[in-house]
Amino acid sequence: MFSRWTLVTLLGLALSGAAKSSTGDSVLVVLDSISDKDNFSQFFNGLTDKGYDLTFRSPKDAKPTIIEDDVAQFSHVVLFSPDSKNYAQDITPQSLVTLLEKGSNLLVALPSKKQTIITSLAPEFSLILPPPGTPLVSHFPERDTPVTVVPVTPPSSNPILTPNTPPVWFSGVPFAYGNNPLLVPILNAPAESFAADSGSDSGADAVVEAADKGGEGLWAGSQMGLVAGFQALGGARATWVGGVELFSDEYAQKELPQGVKPGNTQFTSDVAAWTFQESLALRIDNVTHHLVGETGPRETYTINDNVVFTAHISKYNSGKSAWEPYSGITDMQLEFTMLDPHIRTSLPPATGNPGEYSVTFRVPDRHGVFKFIIDYKRKGWTHLQSSTVVPVVPPRHDGYPRFLSAAWPYYIGAISTSIGFVLFSTLWLAGDDREANKKFAKTTKTE
Amino acid sequence: MAGPKSSSAAAAKSTTPSSTSSSLTPATSNAVHTLWKAYNEATSSRLKTIDAFLVFLMLSGIAQFLYCALVTNFPFNAFLAGFGSCVGQFVLTASLRSQVNPENRAEFKEVSPERAFADFALGSIVLHFFVYNFLG
Repeated sequence: MFSRWTLVTLLGLALSGAAKSSTGDSVLVVLDSISDKDNFSQFFNGLTDKGYDLTFRSPKDAKPTIIEDDVAQFSHVVLFSPDSKNYAQDITPQSLVTLLEKGSNLLVALPSKKQTIITSLAPEFSLILPPPGTPLVSHFPERDTPVTVVPVTPPSSNPILTPNTPPVWFSGVPFAYGNNPLLVPILNAPAESFAADSGSDSGADAVVEAADKGGEGLWAGSQMGLVAGFQALGGARATWVGGVELFSDEYAQKELPQGVKPGNTQFTSDVAAWTFQESLALRIDNVTHHLVGETGPRETYTINDNVVFTAHISKYNSGKSAWEPYSGITDMQLEFTMLDPHIRTSLPPATGNPGEYSVTFRVPDRHGVFKFIIDYKRKGWTHLQSSTVVPVVPPRHDGYPRFLSAAWPYYIGAISTSIGFVLFSTLWLAGDDREANKKFAKTTKTE
Repeated sequence: MAGPKSSSAAAAKSTTPSSTSSSLTPATSNAVHTLWKAYNEATSSRLKTIDAFLVFLMLSGIAQFLYCALVTNFPFNAFLAGFGSCVGQFVLTASLRSQVNPENRAEFKEVSPERAFADFALGSIVLHFFVYNFLG
């Protein structure tokens, strides 16, 4: 028994050492029924080949639980169970949010026909879902599939996706984006698509009618999202997919109308890589600060000091399963803050040292408790936040310049008074013998 | 319309006193001349030395005050020290003058000129000690 646990622990350590993801390699996959996993074999095999440790479970199974003793049991949770209305006690909207707070990542497929806990969770992520049973419909391009199975061209400029990914087959529900800045749109609907009650053309009439009313109640166009990421403040990532079929083997094989292979395999792999924090994962290794001309940090800085601030930043390389120095950030800023940023300056990569970002600046003429702040938030990338408190003090009593050129008239005044005093005393004492004696003689005589 | 009138009136006013003052000048210079002559004859050389020192201190103090008012009062402690040294030395020297003046002998019967000078020297040294402490 004991030896088996040791083995498991050792195995776990070995696996975590070679983890594909920057946060861990244990994945829980929740499927409507376990047998469904054959429909997604390409996607799941891709994950297994990368080094992930997949555990399958159906929604009503009591075990394995996602959170036990307040500890997240899996690094990543995949919810591919759009048709399930009932879940075991441990899977609730609250527990899924708690999971994100604990740093686990979520990959969620939206249900297309029913109202489930997933549809009630989506608004928490600022996703606005259409009424139930209104899938995405598009009549373009001309093809032999149902109108609800739509080829969508992925955007070419999204850093999450491989550039020039071929169009992907999609079927499911679109959603509208709320104005949450943490949302990261990954795949948007084609411009000529819309959400409609059914696949029949009567749905199209309803859309035309809505368009005549000035777009009221209209779910159409490229502003609708199909796949969207969400990066929580803690760094955990949640990806919402409009339809689980995007990941299926069937769609991965299905030829596009142009007669070429679709991009589903590549696309789903990229989406999973982003969700599981393989790609676009950054971290700040360390930050240091010191005076110009020194190497170690000071306990305090004096106003108007020239200070060098340096940050080392790494990016996760999933190919080598290692963090590597990364100098690719060109728009990072450093703030030197006391309530307000007194200084906000760019923090450019230092030439010669990979992963090092450095800037030299003059501390403001203001004493108080300041902070060096890096707050780098870009859609899709891990948020970089760092705050270092440092007191800025006025010069010590002997730290001021001693003799100022502006004060020379005063110095000369004081010195000349002293010289005048010495000269006067000399004259007085020199004249003493003659005159004072006379005077003294006079006074004594008179007395 | 009011401007030119008032300005011309001011000009007229300003010319009047200047003409009167110029008419008074010979009498004034005469008085000053008499005063200077009387001073030169009646004052002992020792008191003249004191007076010269007092004039020097006064001019030095005025120069520092003008520099402070017109150029800069920074650093203010240096101004206070420099100006204070002039004023303090002036007061001490003036006291010395009144004590050694033969005309005041009735009032300072207890104080001999040597004693007065010793007091003056000690006071000055203490004053300069504080001045240099405050100057830098």
